Amino acid sequence: MKIEWTKTALGRRGFLKGAMALGAAAALPMGLGSRAMAAEGGTLRVRSYGDMQSIDPAFSKGVIDEEIHASIYNKLIQYKPGREWDWQMDAAAMIEQGDDTHIKFALRDDIGFTNGFGAMTAEDVKFSFERIVDEATDSPNKPDMGPLSHVEVTGEREGTIVLKEPFAPLWSIALPYITGNIVSKKAWEAAGGKATTDPLAESGPYLRDSWSPKEKTVLKRNPDWKGEAPAWDTIEILPIDDENTAEIAFEAGELDFTRVSLGSVERYRAGVPNGGTLLEYPSLYYAWLGMNLDHPKLQNKKLRQAIQHAIDVPSVLEAAYFGAVEPSTGIIAPGLAGHRPQSLVPPQADFAKAAELLAESGETNVTLKLDTLNKTTFTTAAQVIQATLAQIGITVEVNVLESGAFWASADNEDLQLVLNRYSMTPDPYYATSWFTTEQVGHWNWEQFSNEEFDKIHAEASQLTDLAKRDEMYRRAQDLMEESGAYRFLTHEATPVIHSAGIVPALRPDGLALLRYFGKA
Amino acid sequence: MLLYATRRFGLALLILIVAVTVMFLMIRAVPGDPVQIMLGPRATPELQARLTAELALDQPIWKQLLIFYGNLVQGDLGIDVFSGRSVTAIVFEQLPHTLALIFASILWSALLGIGLGAYAAAHPNTLIDRIAAALSVSFVAAPAFVVALLSLLIFAVHLQWFPAIGAGEGFWGRLDHLVLPAFAIGLSWVGYIARLVRASMLEVMGESHIRTARAFGIHERRVVMVYALRIAILPVVTVIGVGMGFLLSSAVFAEIVFARPGLGKLVIDSITTRNYPIVMGSVLISTGLFVVSTALADLINAWLDPRARTAA
Amino acid sequence: MAKSRSELGQIVTGVARDPLGLMGLIIVGTIVFCAIFAYWIVPFDPVGMNIKDRLQGPSWTHLLGTDQLGRDTFSRVIAGGQVALQVALPAVFGAMAIGLTLGMIAGYGPKWLDNLLMLFFDTIRSFPTVMFALAVVALVGPSLQTVVFVVMATSIPTYGRVARTQTLTLRNSEFILAERSMGASMKRILGVHMLPNIVGVLAVLAAMDIPTVIALEAGLSFLGLGVKPPTPSWGALLKDGYSLIRQTPWLVVGGGLPIILATLGFTFLGESLRDVVDPKLRKQR
Repeated sequence: MKIEWTKTALGRRGFLKGAMALGAAAALPMGLGSRAMAAEGGTLRVRSYGDMQSIDPAFSKGVIDEEIHASIYNKLIQYKPGREWDWQMDAAAMIEQGDDTHIKFALRDDIGFTNGFGAMTAEDVKFSFERIVDEATDSPNKPDMGPLSHVEVTGEREGTIVLKEPFAPLWSIALPYITGNIVSKKAWEAAGGKATTDPLAESGPYLRDSWSPKEKTVLKRNPDWKGEAPAWDTIEILPIDDENTAEIAFEAGELDFTRVSLGSVERYRAGVPNGGTLLEYPSLYYAWLGMNLDHPKLQNKKLRQAIQHAIDVPSVLEAAYFGAVEPSTGIIAPGLAGHRPQSLVPPQADFAKAAELLAESGETNVTLKLDTLNKTTFTTAAQVIQATLAQIGITVEVNVLESGAFWASADNEDLQLVLNRYSMTPDPYYATSWFTTEQVGHWNWEQFSNEEFDKIHAEASQLTDLAKRDEMYRRAQDLMEESGAYRFLTHEATPVIHSAGIVPALRPDGLALLRYFGKA
Repeated sequence: MLLYATRRFGLALLILIVAVTVMFLMIRAVPGDPVQIMLGPRATPELQARLTAELALDQPIWKQLLIFYGNLVQGDLGIDVFSGRSVTAIVFEQLPHTLALIFASILWSALLGIGLGAYAAAHPNTLIDRIAAALSVSFVAAPAFVVALLSLLIFAVHLQWFPAIGAGEGFWGRLDHLVLPAFAIGLSWVGYIARLVRASMLEVMGESHIRTARAFGIHERRVVMVYALRIAILPVVTVIGVGMGFLLSSAVFAEIVFARPGLGKLVIDSITTRNYPIVMGSVLISTGLFVVSTALADLINAWLDPRARTAA
Repeated sequence: MAKSRSELGQIVTGVARDPLGLMGLIIVGTIVFCAIFAYWIVPFDPVGMNIKDRLQGPSWTHLLGTDQLGRDTFSRVIAGGQVALQVALPAVFGAMAIGLTLGMIAGYGPKWLDNLLMLFFDTIRSFPTVMFALAVVALVGPSLQTVVFVVMATSIPTYGRVARTQTLTLRNSEFILAERSMGASMKRILGVHMLPNIVGVLAVLAAMDIPTVIALEAGLSFLGLGVKPPTPSWGALLKDGYSLIRQTPWLVVGGGLPIILATLGFTFLGESLRDVVDPKLRKQR
């Protein structure tokens, strides 16, 4: 399909990069007897931990879908690969904050949609953003767009994003992540407002070539892409949920890039097979032990504090995470506003203090149930907690659940202790949103309810004063810890390995930005 | 024979209905809400309500069952509300992967097992017989996922003879990718079939017509291959029929370890996400497969051995 | 063929005379011994952690190395035998008892009941085991009892079908017909004349079924549906060993070897038992 674009020439930098890549590929040594070096022939093979759910950003299920969306759609701004959180321009030729609630943008003039849906205009931006917050769309990603009021179209490629109130995560989540993907208004309207698993119109450096469910998603270079040329002709995304299998596939030369298990870090530090490289990134996930404040057995605050002090976090991390991760101080990872330098209860257990607290509580013969997922990391951590709590005379029964039952824990009235882990986006508001009073009965399994906390959550996301936000979110985590319902464990880590032929482009938390992956 | 066949398939249909109904009720009794799991933490209450209604989860359970069978009669397994695709399509695109795996496993394990068993029976109580017996028994015990993992490490990573993951492309590619998984889940069947063949052959060879054949001076090898083996293979047919069900279960392990697409993985994924339409679709197909293959095995047996017709 | 004490002695002697039978007897004997006296034999507490010593290879202190929590794998293997038998014995005997009862009812009772029971057996059999197990475990939560239940439920049909066939055969045999013509009660016919004959067959089947059951437990554990941690089961060892195989192969060896040994032992014992008890049974199973 022909699209009228005003600018056509291939960027010189893109051309040079392509030419250099060709030279590099030619010089790449081929191992004798090896079956297939994965990085061969311009095909990049990466692992994803799950299969695609939806091709529609409004119904994106998170990282898995976003890896595909980010390659086939464009956003005003994208995350910048690197070790620090930052963004760079993508579809926007200009973007600037007018005041707290107005953001002006101008689109590049060389982006077009496939299937004959023409050039990208400000109308497409308006449509894409507004449909996320529109009640009728029922998008699960609506909270990411925050208090968006509307997008004002001021020219063919110019517009203004208007917010109802200031929203700090706009630059860290709303625009560069899931909800920032710009889709074609015409294409979506022609299809009745929703895409399922087949792309209606794409505009990114790559196009979705094919999808074999549970087998792979194939992306191919977009021939009409006028931006900086992507390095690879083809990207294959293979859904592999088991990290063991992913590592084996990598070592067999069938993958170029994968996250690896923390247990393998030590081995890969000594050397990655096939000339590959190990990169260690922090992660934003947070794992913690929660106590259900509504459970009759856990009404005594002194008992809860005894449990906080009796859990030896370093031991848990040594056993379950092979010592490859650091203890966390809360739900907000280092590098984000609101990260606490230290927790109120130190990570090391203090058995004397715990025993003292337990004695003060007056509780005897305490027997508690600890629910957790049926993954070795969690069951191992649960067993260490079981052993350490036994030292102060608390008996713990480890209750292992498959994921379906585990994630239905909100309906489990008998939930006592729970070993849990939530995912996170790079803005603190996302973390606090699960622990508000409103979330009781949904994702706030500890039934933690604190007015001050709720107030902080509601107000801090509207602040643009970074120092003030920082202080408020730190206070929020103090409140959580003071309730005695939480023992924070770790933010985990993201170790990834890649083969010799590629230059990965990663977010500071180690997640792949596939469109920027280069060739070595 | 025709009457028998009709009755046998009638029974198969009845079993299928009972099994699918039981599974339907069981999976609904399990805690977990598909809408919550599939949509994740941030679905709006409106969307949750809409999908709950689309899944008919707000209806009484007997009504849900009626709806399910109502759709089924019209050849419709429903829509996966989360991806908007038809469940029939989802199940049938996974089915060939699993069928190929099962057939490949049965094929190689039956060929090798029958060979081993026949050889052992022709040379009873020799050292080779004993070694074959001991080996085949230890194969029976090897859990499929351990064999899968070890063969992956040895043949895919160290020796790089076979690909490690996925299902491959093109005929040869797919065949290449089948080798290790089929090896892993077929291994325990080699021993099982070998023992079965050996036992039934020893019995057959003691029977009068074999003795007659021998008395007529027919060469021993011919006696074994043509007369004894043909009859001794009968129980293997039944076992393979029943084996389909077990292999469907072990396919799950091979599909996890080798990151292969397939029905087993679809079942696990859909049960853990409580995606009821897909659970029911895959349960229906896999129990259907099992029921049909056992019925076919019975029919083949009845055809080869008329005595069996009255037994069932 | 009621088994008096001397007959039992004869059977044991018969089995022991066969070299494979003797081997089976020794292996099974060792496993049972280790299981009973596990807590006297183990060099370390099977659930005692020592995280500093985690993931070690074999040494004189730790014959099979240690796991990710620094627990002695050898001790866990020994104690795991206890768990294996705790699952296998009740499951197999439960399935045998229920299968026997239902099978005899099906074989001796009215035709409609026979059909109903056969439908029941076939239905259970037609579920892929994994699917059935997933649903049950999700329903009642994972535990030793759940595993026993799942294993038992899935093996009832095997015993039921064999018991039924045996009952059908015996029902028309001469000595039962004779008893009936002499006016023996149904209770007497079933209890005194048929039961001992069928139990013999089923016992052989049971001996050979135990390893299958143990392997099934391992499979359930692999899917995270097995016994509760820190219970040392062979399946749990294999599951942890699977996730840690790149770190140490010894957990998989520790979990896998006893399963293979147990299979060999019980199968040899079962086959030898069969030859001694009833040589005609070769085709069964």
